[in-house]
Amino acid sequence: MHTSAGRSAVLKRLYRSPLADIFQFVILVLLVIWFFARSTENLGYDWQWGRIPPFLFSFDENGLTWGPLMQGLMVTFKISGISLVLAFTIGLTTALFRVSGSFVARAIAHVYLETSRNTPLLIQLFFIYFVVGPVIGLDRFTSAVLALSLFEGAYASEIFRAGIVSISRGQREAGYSLGLSTLDAYRFIIMPQAIRRVVPPLTSQAISLIKDSALVSTIAIYDLTMQAQTLIAETFLTFELWFTVGAMYLFVTTILSLLVNHLEKRFKVSA
Amino acid sequence: MALNKVGDPIIRVDRLYKTFPNGVNALVNFSGHVHRGEVVVIIGPSGAGKSTFLRCLNGLEEIDSGTIVIDGIPLDEKKKNRLEIRKEVGMVFQQFNLFPHMTVLDNVNLAQIRVRHKSREEATQTSMELLNKVDIADKAAAFPDQLSGGQQQRVAIARALAMMPKVMLFDEATSALDPEMIGEVLDVMKNLAREGMTMVCVTHEMGFAREVSDRVIFMEKGTIVEMGTAEHFFENPAEERTRLFLSQIL
Repeated sequence: MHTSAGRSAVLKRLYRSPLADIFQFVILVLLVIWFFARSTENLGYDWQWGRIPPFLFSFDENGLTWGPLMQGLMVTFKISGISLVLAFTIGLTTALFRVSGSFVARAIAHVYLETSRNTPLLIQLFFIYFVVGPVIGLDRFTSAVLALSLFEGAYASEIFRAGIVSISRGQREAGYSLGLSTLDAYRFIIMPQAIRRVVPPLTSQAISLIKDSALVSTIAIYDLTMQAQTLIAETFLTFELWFTVGAMYLFVTTILSLLVNHLEKRFKVSA
Repeated sequence: MALNKVGDPIIRVDRLYKTFPNGVNALVNFSGHVHRGEVVVIIGPSGAGKSTFLRCLNGLEEIDSGTIVIDGIPLDEKKKNRLEIRKEVGMVFQQFNLFPHMTVLDNVNLAQIRVRHKSREEATQTSMELLNKVDIADKAAAFPDQLSGGQQQRVAIARALAMMPKVMLFDEATSALDPEMIGEVLDVMKNLAREGMTMVCVTHEMGFAREVSDRVIFMEKGTIVEMGTAEHFFENPAEERTRLFLSQIL
């Protein structure tokens, strides 16, 4: 009895030490390497990773030159960045329309939400670029930004709405009883609390938007995905390029997640 | 009613009717006045329409028919009138409803700045005076969740007073408090009553009703069963229903 209790205490301490964490991590890495080694073997694929770096960047007499993948990444940044701002603006507006007292505003918001959320982004993109675009004179880039913003904005609006309705009625009533207008009650009482609550799902939505932006390659915008497709057609480095591009998306979205985590901790206020 | 300290009627309600969507009659032919400087306590069983009546007075609930006039302003369809009335009528809620994302000071400042259009400095000066009055000035920089229930409710009272209201409504202001904190909030309310604030209080604190109220209203099923001075009410109620209710709670 005494010895077994002593042994379990030793095990417990061992289990909680950082050594155990390192050990677990090493095992995980070995497993992943083994898995990839096995699948590469089975694939019989001739890996040529050495040809990838020049597609990212190169050094010559002119100094550093960004390769096509990095140029594509910049386009992806630009489209995602603008769409993100627009999508959140559209989402917030739609959410406010949906909780408003006006029947017309609610109806508009509802129709937009259901059509945008219930049809594939690819088709919306084609519709805006090929059907709407020529009529009102939208170029490729604008069409892409508009389609992405409208699509992701629909999801964002439901997130905002969930945040708004999660704020207790008492908060609103306290504001009204002090004589605040509806606008001020939303601006100073409801929205600051609602937005803090929906930061985590909004981050997921932002990450989705970045990944969904890959679809703009279908209307020949040279974003990261389109650059990869072009390079693959030229070089047949299918797996190397797709894995590199995947890692680049992962890198960008991870940075975004970490950034939001950091901000969340800084502005943490109990609700 | 011989109430020498009170003035002209500041709240006039006439034949109020209100039915909730679920068919419950919250107010049935409810009429009455509250005089300037008067402290009215409303008691009655739950579901009697006490809170609904208070909430109708500042337009948080809409009435089906009847008239409400506060300090000469009719509470009607006009949004402007409703906002005017809310400026003059402070309300304290059972659940405090402080704004959790703001400090105590900002809670008290907000309406002064946004509604009364005061500068931040002016507002802060008033707020600190009021927080001193409710004895919580040392917590001005704290957030509501760092305060006890009693402290939060005192801040909520200061917040309502910051609008310099002519009438204060208390909707079961001590019902959500732990017993040891009820006293501190009642003390603030008693002081307010002594200073001549017009108050309408829905409460279960019979001691408070006895001590400071000028008039007690017993309500049931959306209407007034009996009304009178605290003395008359507790010593010698006329209605059988009132006697039964008092025997149950005292």
